[in-house]
Amino acid sequence: MKRLQENRIDQISKYLQASKLDPELIPEILDHLACEAEESLWDGKPFEQIYHDMVKTADVQTLLNLSVDHQNLLAMEKSLNDIVFENRNKSYGAYDLRKSYGQNVQRAVIIGVAFFLLLVMFPQLYAKLIPDPKPDDIAYIVEVKPVDIKVEETPVPPAKEEVAPAPKTVKSMTPEVLPDNKVEIEELPPVLEDLENAQPSTETVDGLENIETIAPPVVNAPVAKETAVGVEKREEKEFLHVEQSPQYTGGNEAMAAFLRKNLKYPRPASQAGVQGKVFVQFTVGSDGKIENATAVKGIGFGCDEEAVRVVKMMKDWMPGKQAGVPVRVRFTLPIAFQLD
Amino acid sequence: MENNTTSNEYVRGTLKTIVLNLLAEHDRMYGYEITQEVKDRTGGAIALTFGALYPVLHKLEQEGLLLTESVEVDGRLRKYYSLTHRGNETARTKTNDLERFIEAVKLLLAPKNLATE
Repeated sequence: MKRLQENRIDQISKYLQASKLDPELIPEILDHLACEAEESLWDGKPFEQIYHDMVKTADVQTLLNLSVDHQNLLAMEKSLNDIVFENRNKSYGAYDLRKSYGQNVQRAVIIGVAFFLLLVMFPQLYAKLIPDPKPDDIAYIVEVKPVDIKVEETPVPPAKEEVAPAPKTVKSMTPEVLPDNKVEIEELPPVLEDLENAQPSTETVDGLENIETIAPPVVNAPVAKETAVGVEKREEKEFLHVEQSPQYTGGNEAMAAFLRKNLKYPRPASQAGVQGKVFVQFTVGSDGKIENATAVKGIGFGCDEEAVRVVKMMKDWMPGKQAGVPVRVRFTLPIAFQLD
Repeated sequence: MENNTTSNEYVRGTLKTIVLNLLAEHDRMYGYEITQEVKDRTGGAIALTFGALYPVLHKLEQEGLLLTESVEVDGRLRKYYSLTHRGNETARTKTNDLERFIEAVKLLLAPKNLATE
C-alpha cells in the first residue's frame, strides 16, 4: 500500500482549511480524503490527477454543507449560554452562575412555594392537628366492664349487732275475761276481812291476832318530810308615793271622828298650854295593817306618845295600790293638838 | 453522475440503517472504511459520498447510538465508530423495518400478472 507523502497531506489539509471547513471536522475529512487518495495511488493514478478529482468531489459547497450540518447538530446541544460564552472563560464566574441558574430558580421556587403554603395553611393545619375541644366532647373515656356480682358462698361474719337497750319492762298482763272455773286463784290482794285481824306485811304470817301494837310506821314507807322549799318571804318594797294612796277605811272624816274620840289631851301639855301638830309616820302594809308607827316630829309633853298610841289603835286601812297590786306605803299623818 | 444522484435519493432514507447494520457486523469502523465496505459489497451500485456519510455518523453519535475513539494512524487522527448497547438494539429494529419495507417494495414493483400467478 502506497503512502501519501507528508507534503501531499499538508496540501489537502490546507485546501480544507481554505474552504472554511469546521475545524472539528478537518481531521476526519482529511483522513477520509487521504485514504481515498492512497487508494487511487494504489491504482496507479498520478497525484495531480487524484488531487484534481478530489477537489472536484469535495468542492467548496459540499464542505460548506458539512460544516453547516455539524453546526446545526452542535446547536441542538448547545444552550444559549454556550453560544454567548463560545470564546470566553467557562471554568468559573458568570458562565457557572448562568449554567446553574435554571436549577437554582427551580429549587428556589419549590422551596418558596412550599414555605408560603405552609405559612398560609399553618392555622388550618394547627386547627386540624389540635382540634378545639367542643362542649360535648368527652374528656376521658373510661370503659366500664360489666361486673358480675356473685353471692359469696362464705357469708360475711355478721357485724356485731348493737343490742338496743331494752326498756325496763314490767310484767303487765292484759286481763283476760275467763269463766270462773278457769280462773287461777293466785295471790289476790288481801280483802278487808283479813286485814281486820292482821297487820299488813310483806308476808302472811300466822301470829297473834290481838296484839295492840302501835307500830311506828314502816320504815320503808316514805315519810313526808317538811322541807323548806326555797320560797323566801319577799321583802316588800316600801313606796312613798303610789298611784292610789292608802286610805282609812271609811274615809278621812271617819278617821277624824276616830281621832277625836280616842285622843286625850295629855295633862302636862294642857297644863303647859302646849299645842301644835304631831307628825306620826307609819307604814300601811299591803294587807292594810299599821306598822312601825313613830312620831317623826312632835311637840312633846306627852302629845307625841299619845298620837302614836292612837294611830296604833286604828283598825286596818285600805292599802295603797300600785298598778292595781296592794303594796306597802309609808304614810305620814299630822295630828293637831289644840286647846280650846 | 445522474445515476449517482438517483441512487443517492434512495440511499438518503436508508443510510442510517445501512451504517448501523454495518457497524453491528464489525467491532469498529472509520468513515472511509464504511464507504469502501458499501462500495465493495454492492459492487459500486451504491456509492456513499463523505458529504452524506459524516453528518449521519455525527447525528447517530449525538443520539447516543455510537461511540467514537480517535486513534493515530500513519500520522493522521482516525476516528473509529462503534455501537453502544442502545445502538445495537436500534440497529436490529431498523434492519428489520428496512427488510420488511424492501419486501413490500418488491411486491409493489413486481409485474402484476406475475405476482398473482
